[in-house]
Amino acid sequence: MLLTVLKAMAALASLGVIAASMLALASWKFHVEVDPRVEAVASALPGANCGACGNPSCFAVAEAIVEGAMPVTACVAGGKSVAESIAALMGSGSCDIVAVVSVRHCGGGTAAARSYEYGGVQSCNAVSRLAGGALVCPAGCFGYGDCVCACPFDAMALDERGLPVIDIAKCTGCGICVRECPRGPIGLLQLVADDAPIAVRCNAHNKVKERKASCSACCIACKKCEKECPADAIHVIDMLAVVDYDKCTGCGTCVRVCPQNCIDLYAGASSGTHADGAGKDALAEPVAAGASVEG
Amino acid sequence: MATISHFLLLFVGAALINNILLTRFIGLCSFFGISNSMNTAMGMSAAVIFVMMMASTTTWLVWKFLLFPLNLGEFLYIPAFILIIAALVQFVEMYLRKYSPALYRAMGIYLPLITTNCAVLAAATEVAKPGFFKMAMAYNYTLGEALVYALGVSVGYGFALLTFTALRERLDIAPVPRVLKGNPMSFITAGLLSLAYVGLAGWFGL
Repeated sequence: MLLTVLKAMAALASLGVIAASMLALASWKFHVEVDPRVEAVASALPGANCGACGNPSCFAVAEAIVEGAMPVTACVAGGKSVAESIAALMGSGSCDIVAVVSVRHCGGGTAAARSYEYGGVQSCNAVSRLAGGALVCPAGCFGYGDCVCACPFDAMALDERGLPVIDIAKCTGCGICVRECPRGPIGLLQLVADDAPIAVRCNAHNKVKERKASCSACCIACKKCEKECPADAIHVIDMLAVVDYDKCTGCGTCVRVCPQNCIDLYAGASSGTHADGAGKDALAEPVAAGASVEG
Repeated sequence: MATISHFLLLFVGAALINNILLTRFIGLCSFFGISNSMNTAMGMSAAVIFVMMMASTTTWLVWKFLLFPLNLGEFLYIPAFILIIAALVQFVEMYLRKYSPALYRAMGIYLPLITTNCAVLAAATEVAKPGFFKMAMAYNYTLGEALVYALGVSVGYGFALLTFTALRERLDIAPVPRVLKGNPMSFITAGLLSLAYVGLAGWFGL
């Protein structure tokens, strides 16, 4: 018995030693010189290995940038500052990059009607596969927080309404939440420029009557915002208010006039912190500018 | 025994009739995980063929000259083979990186991933340990038979994976009912594909 144990130990140990020495020899013999710039670029990257750029790791991006296979602006999450430091390392000129953040186009949450009781895996991607999801609204937020779990920068959290709120200070605009969201890439979660002052908290495109029956926080296409906007920047297109950020000045008129409270101040708004769905209150009592947690 | 027809039967039996994915259900994680696009499936298939051949040869040698003579094989084969496969994949990766960067880049991330692929461990165990799977074919292989068997298993893996990937790519643009879209449809397709392979059982007396 003891002999068998000893033989087993010896056999496995010798296998281990052989494998280890073989690998040690290989790492010395097959050593590949790595371009020192790769290390430098890799240390300039955020190092979260978020995968937003399409590469499996930050090191792989660094290699691709040094080889010239990807531009110095390849890092989606790093934004302008990272792109500039990489451009400096690579000796290339300036880089034009617009910093973006994620924005949620839904104010439903607990205010949205359900079509059935769901008791399965608590995941938006799971519920969306079951007869199109438990919400009556075809575009609303399921509220199980797949985006929150996916966010590599800890910039999202579910609030008491069951909606993900985005911490703009932490959001890097990597777009992973947008890809994770079962509502699709141009629906519920979208990327906007990080100085976008206004967010419309609805992205439903069904009939307004159906929409009103299924959710109390939806856009009802009343066109009040369109009529009142001094900059002609918000329009009701396909029965849904859409902001033209090129024209929007962030004056907050639309937020004030919206009867559904479904237009909100967002990242670039000067009034700073506000509770979304309560946009008017935020305008009446602006909190100190600079605070950047979306309600 | 060692005629061409014997090797051919061994190959066909391993590749089609006892297909590792669709009749024996080993390695299903990669079967669903990387069957989204043809490019990744091709990379994975090539890497599996390569690694399975290498790993099977090594485990055969270790079994023949270390584990079996010491009478340790019955309980030590899993740790020993895992150790061998992990070290071997690392070694192959370093070698390719130095001498064949093109192949290294083509196999990319799939090479290290295969370290933990159960299909590789299964094939490497079958060729070495007689009677591991209680099937008509499980007996003591010679090294030549082991190589042909490992090639058969890995080619069968690649064949099933590529078939499934092609079907999934078409299903993506097909008018699938809404409730079945995505994973449910993939599972149904895999089930039907598996039925088709099970239909081959018993051919050529295999």
